Amino acid sequence: MKFRAEREALADAVGTAQRAVASRTGALPVLSGLRVTLGPGSVELVGSDLEMTIRVTTPVQGEGEGSAVLPARLFADILARLDGDTVTVELVGEDARIEAGRFATTLRTLSVGEFPRLPEVPENGVRVDGAALAESLRQVVPAASRDDARPILTGVLLAAHEGGLRLVATDSYRLAMRDLPGVSMLAGDQRVLVGAKGLAEVQRLLRDGDIEVFLAERDVTFRVGSADITTRLIEGEFPNYQQLIPSDYPNRLKVSRDLLGAAVNRVRLVSQSRDTAPIRIRMNPDGIELSAVAQDIGEAHESVEATFDGGELTVAFNAQFLLDGIESVGGSVIELETQDPLRPAVMRNPEAPDFLYLLMPVRIA
Amino acid sequence: MTTAAGAPPSILHCDLDAFFASVEQLHDPALAGRPVVVGGLGARGVVAAASYEARRFGIHSAMPMARARRACPDGVFLAPRFDAYRDASRAVMTILGSFTSLVEPIALDEAFLDVGGSRRRWGTGPEIAVVIRDRVHAETGLTVSVGVATTKFLAKLASDRSKPDGLLVIEPGTETAFLHPLPVEALWGVGPATHRRLVALGVRTVGDLATLGEPTLIGALGAARGRHLHALAHNRDDRAVVPERAVKSVGHEETFAVDHRDPAVLAREVAHLADRVAARLRAAGQRGRTVQLKVRFADFRTVTRSRTLARPTDLGAEIGATARDLLAGVDPGPGVRLLGVSVHQLGADDGPLTLDLDGAGAGPGGRRRAALEESIDAVRDRFGADSVRTARRAAAPPGPPAGTGA
Repeated sequence: MKFRAEREALADAVGTAQRAVASRTGALPVLSGLRVTLGPGSVELVGSDLEMTIRVTTPVQGEGEGSAVLPARLFADILARLDGDTVTVELVGEDARIEAGRFATTLRTLSVGEFPRLPEVPENGVRVDGAALAESLRQVVPAASRDDARPILTGVLLAAHEGGLRLVATDSYRLAMRDLPGVSMLAGDQRVLVGAKGLAEVQRLLRDGDIEVFLAERDVTFRVGSADITTRLIEGEFPNYQQLIPSDYPNRLKVSRDLLGAAVNRVRLVSQSRDTAPIRIRMNPDGIELSAVAQDIGEAHESVEATFDGGELTVAFNAQFLLDGIESVGGSVIELETQDPLRPAVMRNPEAPDFLYLLMPVRIA
Repeated sequence: MTTAAGAPPSILHCDLDAFFASVEQLHDPALAGRPVVVGGLGARGVVAAASYEARRFGIHSAMPMARARRACPDGVFLAPRFDAYRDASRAVMTILGSFTSLVEPIALDEAFLDVGGSRRRWGTGPEIAVVIRDRVHAETGLTVSVGVATTKFLAKLASDRSKPDGLLVIEPGTETAFLHPLPVEALWGVGPATHRRLVALGVRTVGDLATLGEPTLIGALGAARGRHLHALAHNRDDRAVVPERAVKSVGHEETFAVDHRDPAVLAREVAHLADRVAARLRAAGQRGRTVQLKVRFADFRTVTRSRTLARPTDLGAEIGATARDLLAGVDPGPGVRLLGVSVHQLGADDGPLTLDLDGAGAGPGGRRRAALEESIDAVRDRFGADSVRTARRAAAPPGPPAGTGA
């Protein structure tokens, strides 16, 4: 197996596939590698941590056929630093020889026979508007949990909803929900739970234009350009999120999204931890005041112009979760609806009712 | 902290006299002047506290209860009531806290104070000690012994030597004169094993110890202990009084009347302990992240297992499930004498609230579960700890545990 490729295109493809490579390989060292397979006119690059697999093809000029597993990080680092327009990769016995300009390296390969068999991608996919999906993922994925102790919450629920698609994620502190009317990715009342990590990669690769989604029994594949991102479906029952969304809010606040975000970012500076700082929001008909108090450091407050309809109250939120919400809802004006200092609040953009961000307060002494 | 010679000593060690027993005597005046012993009343319980009247019969804490009963058949033997002791302790600690913020509680009945910064307002260490003793007695009825010195360990030795109802001041410059005649086992860190080794070296008093070089002590006792005792013998103790803002863990233990081997019985006890720990966490407004299980076997071998949860909890169901998981990894074959469940890494229960994802009330962590456990707390508060039990425990054959300890 020997091929010549455009350096930049190959570096891009390797960089993409490498993102699925396991950071800790545990019992299967071969997973630290990237499988490179030469076919007629192209190579296929595959990285996998068994949960998520990324497969990219890129055109090359090749001689012969064959497969090898190269150490992924090293391969990607070398390609990223090479000079010149082209690079040659050749398998010599157990070694891979990489040459570009005056540089040459010989790398030991990993055993290709040990590389796991990959899930088959079903033949029939569904076309989905890439830009709309990208925006939805940007809004929803950050709310998913990164804590493996509750695997179900590390996924994003994709559910058929009133002829469209609904995406929901929660880490139990906040919940993000987006509706994509008219996107019929799932049939009937189908619902699947897809790992947020895989979806974050999908979002990273998404550009304008359609993508294809292939749903299988145990996994789902997103075909974005020349890349297939396959991620295992998470088994288990997603929490009954609908009962969490309050139907009535006695207190309704409208505030400029930019002003609120900037004020939170300033006030949270005075805290032990800028991420977890509780930001108090005192709301009354004259406007709102944000404040943060940190023992041994000091306190900060800022008043922000706003319209408020309801009874005077103070609610505190985790600064980072608040900022995530401000970022996710988009638009120029944010609506923040609250019940009381201990029950969930809802953030939305009044001009984009398809998205909702539910946020639990922080209990303050 | 060492004070320059000449300045009055400012480290105080305050130690309430026969604390549990004194609280009982205050609550029931009929007990005044009688030998009162508090501890586990079962066959294998031990003495937690003995009034000075009881001590005349040779009764002391940690003595098996059965022996205490034989030593003093006419004594009053009571099960501990920790809530009452906690209340009394809080009252005393509040008094101590009015003299300085540097109060380091060691136990319910014991605390160090550094009053070096209170001189202008309250006077010198010895003067403050007098006021503390008066106020504690006037406001709570309890007597407290106080040691005043330039270091923590000397202050503690002084309060020990002044008991009961005493005050002993070790003036700067007289430390070694006080220290050296004391038996070496009076020092912190000299247990029976170390004592035997020291006696073998011909050391009986702290003064004997002070004549030995540090290398000799390190050779005989190991580096850490050798250095530690060498420093103490020369009155070097630079530990500061560290005010403690919060307790570090909450736990509960049970010593059984008979050794248990049945996993089902042990699991039931663990669940019960977890409920009690959870109730105490909730009462203190705390949650913890690490659950620890302690198992002591019939041969007194003790093992602990712990697991850290994804998020802090104060729910008995969650603590119990974790502790039972840990129990499953311990072989009860040799017979289990004692079980303990404790929760560590505590924090106040302010902090992020969570969505009620288990809204149906199915799993732990749901708000319904929390509401349920809080209602149970309220019932137990009014009608006693055993008024509400899980079906699992209610089904257990009767047989009270021998002793309880906090």
